[in-house]
Amino acid sequence: MSLLKLDRVTKRFGGLLAVDHVSLEIEAGELIAIVGPNGAGKTTLFNIMSGVFIPDEGRVIFEGRDISRLPPYKRAPLGIGRTFQIPRPFSSATVRENIAIGAMFGTLGKKVSVDESLKIADRYIDMVGLQLHRGKAAGSLTPVEKKMMEIARALAMNPKLLLMDEAMAGMNPKDIDHMVAFLMRIKDEEKISVIAMVEHIMRAVAGLAERVMVMHQGAKLVDAATTEALSDPRVVEVYFGGAPKEFKKNWKKTNGPESDKGTA
Amino acid sequence: MRADPTKYYPLIPVYVAYLAMFLIGSNMTGMWQLMAMLAFYCALGQAFNIFLGMTGYVDFGYVAFLGVGTYGMALGITKLAHVEELGIGIIIIGLALAVVMATLLSLAVGAVALRLRGAYFAIATIGVNEGFRYFIEGAKIWNGSEGMIFTAELNQIFGRETASALSTFWADVLVLIIAAAAAFVTLYYMKSKIGYALTALREDEDAAKVMGIHVTKYKIIAFITSAVFAGLLGASAWALKTPYVFPPEVFEIHYTVEAIIIVLLGGAGTLLGPLVGGLIYGLSKYYLSIVLPGFQLLIFAPIIILIIVFFPEGIVGMLKNRVKGTALEQYVL
Amino acid sequence: MILEQLIGNLIQGLVLGAIYGMATMGLSLIFGVLRVVNVGHGAFIMVGAFIAWWLFSALGVIPILAIPVALVIGLALGFIFYYSVLRRLIKAPELASLLATFSIGVLLEETAKLIFGSEFRGYNWAVGKITLPMTVLPMTKLYACLGSVLIAVLLYIWFNKTRAGTAMRSVVEDSEGAKVCGVNVEGVYAMSFALGIGLTVVSGVLLTMFIPVGINPYMGGPYTLKAFVIAVLGGLASPYGAFFGGLVFGLIENGSYTLFAFLPGVEPFALTRFFSCMMLLVILLIRPTGLLRAK
Repeated sequence: MSLLKLDRVTKRFGGLLAVDHVSLEIEAGELIAIVGPNGAGKTTLFNIMSGVFIPDEGRVIFEGRDISRLPPYKRAPLGIGRTFQIPRPFSSATVRENIAIGAMFGTLGKKVSVDESLKIADRYIDMVGLQLHRGKAAGSLTPVEKKMMEIARALAMNPKLLLMDEAMAGMNPKDIDHMVAFLMRIKDEEKISVIAMVEHIMRAVAGLAERVMVMHQGAKLVDAATTEALSDPRVVEVYFGGAPKEFKKNWKKTNGPESDKGTA
Repeated sequence: MRADPTKYYPLIPVYVAYLAMFLIGSNMTGMWQLMAMLAFYCALGQAFNIFLGMTGYVDFGYVAFLGVGTYGMALGITKLAHVEELGIGIIIIGLALAVVMATLLSLAVGAVALRLRGAYFAIATIGVNEGFRYFIEGAKIWNGSEGMIFTAELNQIFGRETASALSTFWADVLVLIIAAAAAFVTLYYMKSKIGYALTALREDEDAAKVMGIHVTKYKIIAFITSAVFAGLLGASAWALKTPYVFPPEVFEIHYTVEAIIIVLLGGAGTLLGPLVGGLIYGLSKYYLSIVLPGFQLLIFAPIIILIIVFFPEGIVGMLKNRVKGTALEQYVL
Repeated sequence: MILEQLIGNLIQGLVLGAIYGMATMGLSLIFGVLRVVNVGHGAFIMVGAFIAWWLFSALGVIPILAIPVALVIGLALGFIFYYSVLRRLIKAPELASLLATFSIGVLLEETAKLIFGSEFRGYNWAVGKITLPMTVLPMTKLYACLGSVLIAVLLYIWFNKTRAGTAMRSVVEDSEGAKVCGVNVEGVYAMSFALGIGLTVVSGVLLTMFIPVGINPYMGGPYTLKAFVIAVLGGLASPYGAFFGGLVFGLIENGSYTLFAFLPGVEPFALTRFFSCMMLLVILLIRPTGLLRAK
């Protein structure tokens, strides 16, 4: 049984077909990347998975249970954690409190007290390297620190599945390498499945995921092993329009984070 | 939750202040009235803070809960005055009625208005408050716009002397107790998951939902708690102290605004804030009414604007940042 | 009998409704552009009412000529409050702007009390009346109604045909997008707030032409509430929605009052207000984007 299964989910906004019959299965312990240009429907798909939107058609199945219509606050305790494209810390609360909130209302839920949650928070603070900022208000962190705090907060939920929205947007190459290494580690150590959404930092995708799903105009274009997917002519077409040959030669050079400012 | 005494240290300054108010009032001649007024404002702030401060939702109709609390006590006293065996029990019944009515109203309002956010919520609460008042007047329930006066009933039940002590002393003591209880509940919430959930939803409601927080549930908890304290406050500070109830007065939006000023001035969402705000607001209102009678509002309005623009964290909010890392830290919350 | 009275009152309601609508356009404009609910709305109506009363009773200026005066004063007040207060609160939590506008309202009320005292004022500008089938309409009411419609039309033209108006509409639709397209968003905020206040002060003048009595520093409160109902009817963020909301509200208010007056054992005036509060809540619940607006 797969951990999460999307069965032909569809979401429309007025006349716009934001997500068009997308199916996807992710196994426990798997790490996959969803890539696609801006407006491809990635964020909408994430919102369908985390319960912010209810799909117009199709089903979302988590551990064999149909959760298509379950509100987000009921999905989190089942084991779905997520981060946001633009970090959304609870600004006035401290870093430690932010992360503790994850523990309090995640899968551990009723099993942990406030004090235990704060202890759990300390563990994740160490893990993401925010020791120096423990007692600071989350609103005062730098964007990258906020991102790390948000990941720690999601991990403190003790999720089975972690949805990471634009995990690496706006980071410099060094930070990206750190993040990739970090994600690989939590996947293995914490036994968490990860769906990472990436706009177009191919370098990170190549180092990160075994499997990639490419979206285009709301539909699934390719779902395959990473190396295979990235050389698929349709993917090249979507990303670079009419210049596939130069792209093939140069894609590693041209897709450094410098060209990703638009996603920050 | 295991008992950890240091958790409750922040209550010490609060309770010291309330005790001091009681002692000053009861030992210094002529001070009781002033202390009673301060106690009312502190209690009002303390009660409203549980909703306004902790959730960040602005309820412009908050006074309606004081209003129904006043009606609860009024109805208890007028309907049961003939049952002589009740004695002091009638006050308990009145308070219980106030709690029940405030709870019911907050459930009804919460079910409707708490689905709305931000400005829409604020507008809806104004509608609820005014609607409730005009319903009482328009449908002529509970004596409609004429209101209810129950001085005679109180005298009949308790005798003139006790009834007078009730309104000039015991009603105010009750207000102090309500303030202290509201402070306790505030701290209890802050230290429990409820407080964490409320902080999260105040800062970012959608993110809070995705984190697994049932935001509606926690908003309703804060709303009802705050409403119950308001109901008790109406029953004691209004119904017992001045034994009449008159719709335009108990639904007067200016009381809501006073409550907002107190919370904001002291520091929204803090434990000490409503106390500090209540004291400062009450004292300045009192002295302004002596020095410049009739001009209080003219002076307050620009002051509120200045606070909002320049000190949105309130006095205690600023103080909290100051004492961070010092020995005082665990007393200021 | 009932029917005749009802129709007569509905005609009056429609006339009053046009003024109500005009009196709400400022509120909707400010909410649409700045996302700020002006809780002190009624106080600005009061300012307009006092301008009309004072000009007429002290200087003999007829209310129609008070309109430009009110517009100038209103624009000035709008700019002053925008630059001194609102500008700093656009990004702050809602609590801040709600309380600030409320305080501004109180400040205006108390200032009016300081200057004019708190007694009720009125004036009598007699310019004849016309007899309609079911009711009699003083010419002043008719002027007020026509004035409201004219102002609404002018506003419509201004929004759609001028650069500043187009900029304002673009900010209503998408303030981020407008910024990217080179619209001076800050300037639009200031302009919209000032215009919203200007319109509201003018509506105070028009209201006294319909009801020339009861002018008092605290007269604004009920109008704030009515304006909320009307604005919500029209979708809260749309000035034209507000205008049509005003027409609907005028009809409902007068219609329900007429009917409640026939019920035994009730207070029709209070019940009418209760009814409008219920309307507010119901619309907010089922259709917060407004009844008169496509989704």
